[in-house]
Amino acid sequence: MYKVFRLALREYVAAVKTKGFIIGLVMLPIFMSGSIIAMALLKDHVDTRERHIIVIDETHQLGQVLVDAAEQRNSSEIFDAETGEQNQPKYLIELQEAEPDLMTQMSRLSERIRNAEIHAFLFIGESAVHPSSNPEKAQVNYHSESAALDDVRSWLRDPINNQLRRLRLEDAGINESQIPDLFAWSWIDAKGLLTVDEDGNIIDAVASNELQSIAVPLIMVMLMFMMSMMGAMPQLSAVMEEKTQRIVEVILGSITPFQFMLGKILGGLAVALTSTLIYVGGGVLFMQYRGFEAFIPYDILPWFFVNLVILLFMLGALMTSLGSVANDAKDAQSLSFPAMFPMMIPMFVMFPVLKEPLSTFATWLSLIPPFTPMVMILRLASPVTIPAWQPWAGLVGVIIFTLLVVWGGARIFRAAILMQGVPLKFSNIMRWMTKG
Amino acid sequence: MYTIKLDNITKSFNDFTAVDQLSLKVPNGSIYGFIGPNGSGKTTTIRMIMNIFYPDSGSIEVFGEPRTDTHTDRIGYLPEERGLYKKMKVRELLKFYSELKTGRAKLDEIDRWLEKMDLSDWANKKVDTLSKGMSQKVQFIATVASKPDLIILDEPFSGLDPVNTDNLLTAMLDLQKQGATIIFSTHDMATAEKVCDYIFMIHKGKKVLDGTLDNIQNKYGTDTLKIRCENKAVGLESIKNVEHVHDFGQIQELRLTPDSDHQIILKEIMKSNQLLSFEIMKPSLHDIFVRIAGAQENSNV
Repeated sequence: MYKVFRLALREYVAAVKTKGFIIGLVMLPIFMSGSIIAMALLKDHVDTRERHIIVIDETHQLGQVLVDAAEQRNSSEIFDAETGEQNQPKYLIELQEAEPDLMTQMSRLSERIRNAEIHAFLFIGESAVHPSSNPEKAQVNYHSESAALDDVRSWLRDPINNQLRRLRLEDAGINESQIPDLFAWSWIDAKGLLTVDEDGNIIDAVASNELQSIAVPLIMVMLMFMMSMMGAMPQLSAVMEEKTQRIVEVILGSITPFQFMLGKILGGLAVALTSTLIYVGGGVLFMQYRGFEAFIPYDILPWFFVNLVILLFMLGALMTSLGSVANDAKDAQSLSFPAMFPMMIPMFVMFPVLKEPLSTFATWLSLIPPFTPMVMILRLASPVTIPAWQPWAGLVGVIIFTLLVVWGGARIFRAAILMQGVPLKFSNIMRWMTKG
Repeated sequence: MYTIKLDNITKSFNDFTAVDQLSLKVPNGSIYGFIGPNGSGKTTTIRMIMNIFYPDSGSIEVFGEPRTDTHTDRIGYLPEERGLYKKMKVRELLKFYSELKTGRAKLDEIDRWLEKMDLSDWANKKVDTLSKGMSQKVQFIATVASKPDLIILDEPFSGLDPVNTDNLLTAMLDLQKQGATIIFSTHDMATAEKVCDYIFMIHKGKKVLDGTLDNIQNKYGTDTLKIRCENKAVGLESIKNVEHVHDFGQIQELRLTPDSDHQIILKEIMKSNQLLSFEIMKPSLHDIFVRIAGAQENSNV
């Protein structure tokens, strides 16, 4: 084993001593969470230019309410509470009568939007107050260049709907002032399960929030994905390069192909674990510092590390064996996509699994070995309690599968590592694996 | 007695038989030259001795025991294709190879070899700054720094200038004196003639020559006549009992049929040429190589 560790040490030092490793360590999470960081950084950088909105109100009962609501907003809601600086755009509502040829009118307004003369226009059909009387003329349409993502559309929803309710109550002969809190919303709080402590005391459930439900499992799985990209994926091109640069045969003069493969896998594993310890350690310290210690899933961390090590071992064996098959960078590139399969499938199904961790689909997928490490961690880190036997069953399955991958990979590696120019064919790979 | 014993080993790749029922015995402390045309099976044979390839049939003994991975630590191997980690420093790289081979670095030995090969000044330079010849010498040091009992060198002289070739030859002879057994493959017949105790030739996977240089040459007898004429020699091919003429410009080598009379042939030459000198000799290794490889190539054509 000494030779394996010596080779692994060289691989580790060669990877960790480079500036690329340090830069990668910093940049990887930034790339992965780039959009979230960008959103946070740009939160206060809002375009405060005035939004001019034309409203065509066929009911003649809603337009003025919108004008008043916009004025109310412009006077009190668009300034920073501390500095007094304007940090939101003004909304300017202009009412326009519907013309006999409505389509021509709306086409003209669309052109004005394209020419940046106005921001948007809103059409309120004549039956909007009582849609059941004439559903076809009850629509409320908002038109702008990017209507679906437009903040103005979101803002319009409350004043329009509140006014519609008032009008309908008035028509029904009910005075709004007679019913306090008529328009008060009730939010449904998310809570976990009550527990009983050692003394038999019932402990109230804690609030379940998005951080616990989504962020923790997502971060863990993303970390596994990133570490696989850092510790296992590079093995494919590294082995291919050492094969084409003829370094392999020199090394094989001292160690067996299996020892060589094992050394490469362990080197990559050590690199990934170093990064993981930095990220996890840093994350735990940060959470403790910010008072979020309750959200650190200490009970899941051992499962996380065990599954990560197995995943890296499995992928490492896969990548090194495929690297030995590749003749050049083009081969390595075409092999990298199928090689990423065990990582990509769990990423694709992350949200369905998180939504229903106990579903038949999530359960079975977490017990299919190539996907077990990532999917099982996703389920374990979710707020629900999964049956205790499942992580253990998954672990046994994935260990057996990993040993098979190492065995098959070693046979491919031994046969292919000194073959130069042999065409990359699935039949060749299968032959090397079955016949050695 | 024998460092290596190959017994009827065969290795095939799909339908191609690279080595065919090869048997060979390499005595302890000898220098054994492997010669043969490109693709004849030299490297495959060496890789089987190195346990990188397994023979399909036959057996391999090393140091008097069936070949296992444990013997690898006692064998130094210089492959035909050179490959070094380009970003490592020379001494660091040699230390790594030495540790990989024996478990601990023999730094004194590494430094001694660096000095011997005029590479001391390059010890702390990265490999990618070395010239091709220097890289080759570094790889040679990596092969021998662990003091192996058996040294296998696949084409060790390719790309080396005459000075470095001589340095390497001297180093090989020193290692032999210290008790090492050396196998090397080469296309340089003159070098093989000079240093090899035994020569083995493989062609199309089969052994076609094996023995000392004298034994091999004796098989062919004194069938070669080397001549030098006043002007360009003419009419040599048409002389009876002259099988082949190799014209080097200033001198010509004539291969004669067995039992031909040298005196009669010389008289025939002098009829149409002014003879300055002649020598009756055994065929060179180069000539023997060409005869075997060339004859089989022609028979295929």
